[in-house]
Amino acid sequence: MGVLLFVSVMLVAACGLIYELIAGAMASYLIGDSVFQFSTVIGTYLFAMGLGSALSRYLNRGLVQRFIWIELMLGVIGGFSSALLMLAFAFTQGFQLVLYAVVIATGILVGLEIPLLMRIVRERYSFRDVIAHVLTFDYMGALGASLLFPIVLVPRLGLVRSALLFGLINAGVALWSTYLFGSQLMQKRSLRVACLIVICVLSVGIARAKQITAAAEDNIYADDIIFSRNTQYQHIVLTRFKDDLRLFLNSHLQFSSRDEYRYHESLVHPGLAAVPAPRRVLILGGGDGLAAREILKYPQVEAITLVDLDPEMTKLFSTQPMLTNLNQKSLLASRLHVINADAFPWVDSTTDSFDFIVIDFPDPTDYALGKLYTTAFYRAVARHLSSQGFLVVQSTSPMFARDSFWCIAETLHQSGLQTFPYHVYVPSFGEWGFVLAGTRPYVAPQSLPPGLRFLTPDGIPLLFEFPPDMAHIPMPPNQLNTQVLVRMYDEDWKDISH
Amino acid sequence: MKIGRRKFLSVGSAALLGLTLKADRRIEGSFVNESAAAGHLLRDRASFTSPQKIEKFSIVIVGGGISGLSAAWRLRKRGFKDFVVLEMNSQAGGNARWGENEITAYPWAAHYVPVPGPRATYVRELFTDLGVLKDGRWEERNLVFAPQERLFLYGRWQDSLEPAVGLTQKDREQFQRLQDVLAKYRATGEFTIPLELGLTGKFAELDQISFADWLASRGFDSRALNWYMNYACRDDYGALTRDTSAWAGIHYFASREMEELGPLTWPEGNGWITRRLLERVGENVRTGQMVNKIIQSNRGVTVLAGDTEYRADFVIFAAPTFLAPYLIDGFPKPRNFVYSPWLTANLTLEQLPESRGAEPTWDTVFMDSPTLGYVDATHQSVRTFGQRTVWTFYWALADGTPAQNRQFLLEKDWNYWKEAILQDLERVHTDIRRCVSRMDVMRMGHAMIRPSIGAILSEDRANLKRKHGRVVFANSDLSGISIFEEAQYHGIDAAQIVLGHVSGHPS
Repeated sequence: MGVLLFVSVMLVAACGLIYELIAGAMASYLIGDSVFQFSTVIGTYLFAMGLGSALSRYLNRGLVQRFIWIELMLGVIGGFSSALLMLAFAFTQGFQLVLYAVVIATGILVGLEIPLLMRIVRERYSFRDVIAHVLTFDYMGALGASLLFPIVLVPRLGLVRSALLFGLINAGVALWSTYLFGSQLMQKRSLRVACLIVICVLSVGIARAKQITAAAEDNIYADDIIFSRNTQYQHIVLTRFKDDLRLFLNSHLQFSSRDEYRYHESLVHPGLAAVPAPRRVLILGGGDGLAAREILKYPQVEAITLVDLDPEMTKLFSTQPMLTNLNQKSLLASRLHVINADAFPWVDSTTDSFDFIVIDFPDPTDYALGKLYTTAFYRAVARHLSSQGFLVVQSTSPMFARDSFWCIAETLHQSGLQTFPYHVYVPSFGEWGFVLAGTRPYVAPQSLPPGLRFLTPDGIPLLFEFPPDMAHIPMPPNQLNTQVLVRMYDEDWKDISH
Repeated sequence: MKIGRRKFLSVGSAALLGLTLKADRRIEGSFVNESAAAGHLLRDRASFTSPQKIEKFSIVIVGGGISGLSAAWRLRKRGFKDFVVLEMNSQAGGNARWGENEITAYPWAAHYVPVPGPRATYVRELFTDLGVLKDGRWEERNLVFAPQERLFLYGRWQDSLEPAVGLTQKDREQFQRLQDVLAKYRATGEFTIPLELGLTGKFAELDQISFADWLASRGFDSRALNWYMNYACRDDYGALTRDTSAWAGIHYFASREMEELGPLTWPEGNGWITRRLLERVGENVRTGQMVNKIIQSNRGVTVLAGDTEYRADFVIFAAPTFLAPYLIDGFPKPRNFVYSPWLTANLTLEQLPESRGAEPTWDTVFMDSPTLGYVDATHQSVRTFGQRTVWTFYWALADGTPAQNRQFLLEKDWNYWKEAILQDLERVHTDIRRCVSRMDVMRMGHAMIRPSIGAILSEDRANLKRKHGRVVFANSDLSGISIFEEAQYHGIDAAQIVLGHVSGHPS
């Protein structure tokens, strides 16, 4: 019996520590600042344990029965603590309140355990042995729990199921105690029933842990993730919230279906509608097919070549019904030809010429992408522009990355082109900028294809007006041997986020 | 998820051992472009097959490196076609040879040319011809892309190779003082590229001491500064500062303007220049033609190579000059011609190793390594994505005597050098063995002329610059330093000298 008794001390101690760790970890996960969270959780918890120990003196009779009830309460509160915390974070404003309430409740109950146990067994051992044995196993349990927690429990089970598992252990100790201390108990049967009920509830909890987590996560993240894939080139994520579909490439927002028409109408029409009789159009990037959708509104365009690096991207936007609905199956159009290739070498190798060229790459966040914003690249592209043609470059935000925007404009200018920068407001992006460029002066178009939701012929000249806070500032051009833009872009966005 | 018991056990136990499933790759490779055996035939005065046929040219150019090809380029530019270039190796280019695999072209030796200063008129003329210099502007694609270089020191990266982190006040003061001293030497106009244009012998005393002694005598004892000076001498001369003439050490820094632009470079390094030259003169070039004898007479010169006896009016000797005594009867062994042994390796990488947070660069150097680090051949590519690449690894065997190191180079097998190179890279890229799939190693016993003490202003070197009967010398070793600009200068110079003597040809 002695060994079994002390094993339960160890288990009980492990449970106590696990609840504390779970509360600390959950708070750190959900609100961050882990040093603060762990400090305050541990402090509050230890203090509550002290309260529990102090309260233990008021428990006089039926100690075993009370111990069993404490274990059951602990099993329920501790076991459901992480599910409760997660749901509280997802659905209420009072996460902190629930957090410290749970910490104090479990702390008090854990604080009661050891004094009660010591008193229960004091008749069997000398005081000296009780202290030595109980505390030894208590601390051993703590060590076991603290090692199990990060190595096995969190990675294998997750926080919700770990807590429930240890709730089961508490309930198990309670049930076991009805046998272990049977001689000191009156209503064994009803206690055992209570134990079994708690065990059942916790088991159901474990079986349903996934749903609990999912319900909470749905509320924690703004939108449902409906597609997520690491391709050879990038991480593609699609999210949906009600009717809003969003595409993220390497965590950078590419469009929101609610306002992408503003972006893509502005990207395509100011330039394309100003080209007389455009027949051949090139899109570099733009694997989502949204720029292509706009270009297909011109019946005189005979052939569109779309060059996008990632075959998974063009495949996704050719097949996924929600996406083909958005791009109106543009990638499947007979006038459009998809080429999956790296843009710069492709531009070097092609001999074709085009009346309009759309350059719609991700922002220049690294040196690899930076190559696609250089004078060398624009010179190479410009060789494929017909004499009446224009090219347009998505040029990041003239508001948030003003230096970068004007650097891109200067780079196009130094590539021997006349430049016509403009900007537009896209709610999900903010102020966004484009640079039109060509070898002749630009005259805004008098008419546009029917069915546009944002652009009008009268509105186009307004896009070319820059208010003082976005106005031109002199910038060096971006070149392969300097790559000033990448560093500039990094600085620009750093300034925003701090 | 169901995990089978066996899988669980294997993954589980591997995880416990920290091995997981990241196995090292098998590395293929061999020695390539071996030339020592052929060269030793000359050294050992082996008997060669007697010629079967006779061919006549006005000019025979011995050696198809940059010097020989530049001579050819000048001859053809002057409309002169009656000549042949004889190259011993199966590929022309010498120290500007290149290789190519399915990933990229890559250099075998020299891999860049600094943007030439105003006095390097021949280099500017060539680059104008090749489209590198257009309307006074350097072609962007030929300038090294950013980020250019990084140095690993004290467990971290810095950009640029001159140590800048972990410097004490004293180090900083010495770097600044050295810069000031070098600026004064630069201002004298004595240190030029090509070297011959500025050389008057004004600072002859600098050629009489080692660069190390010169630094010490001026109180430059900073460890970081001395590392950097040693790195520079190993990189350009294959020698340590203690084996380098102070004149040459100063020339390295004082001959170039502080340029804003990085050097000119290409995926295959200076092999790109070789290719462009071969497009222009290739029909005059014969490879696999080892010259074994050059005989002068009153009426002309006879050059024996393989089964052919070439009869010419003049020979441009563009091969390394140390070969001359073995080819020309009675030609004295030139004194003060010391050559540095080198090793280069091209490593095929299936993926880039961990770089501890630093962006990949063109040139990577580890401080306190005996090697010179590596250059990434795909850095100069306009591709945006590409996992696989080729690194060219450079190692000048500078510690010890050249003879010892040549011996060592020949003695050790491929496996030895493969391990030595991987261990050097593992200082920083701990996962390199998971990335490399192939390593080809090229050993060069006489890779480049070394400007040892007394070499620059030596009498033998000055004598060689004159015409020797019907033979005109043209190798870069005439300058005492082995750089592209010198090789090209002497090649063109030799061509012009010979054109002046070829009967009936207006020069």
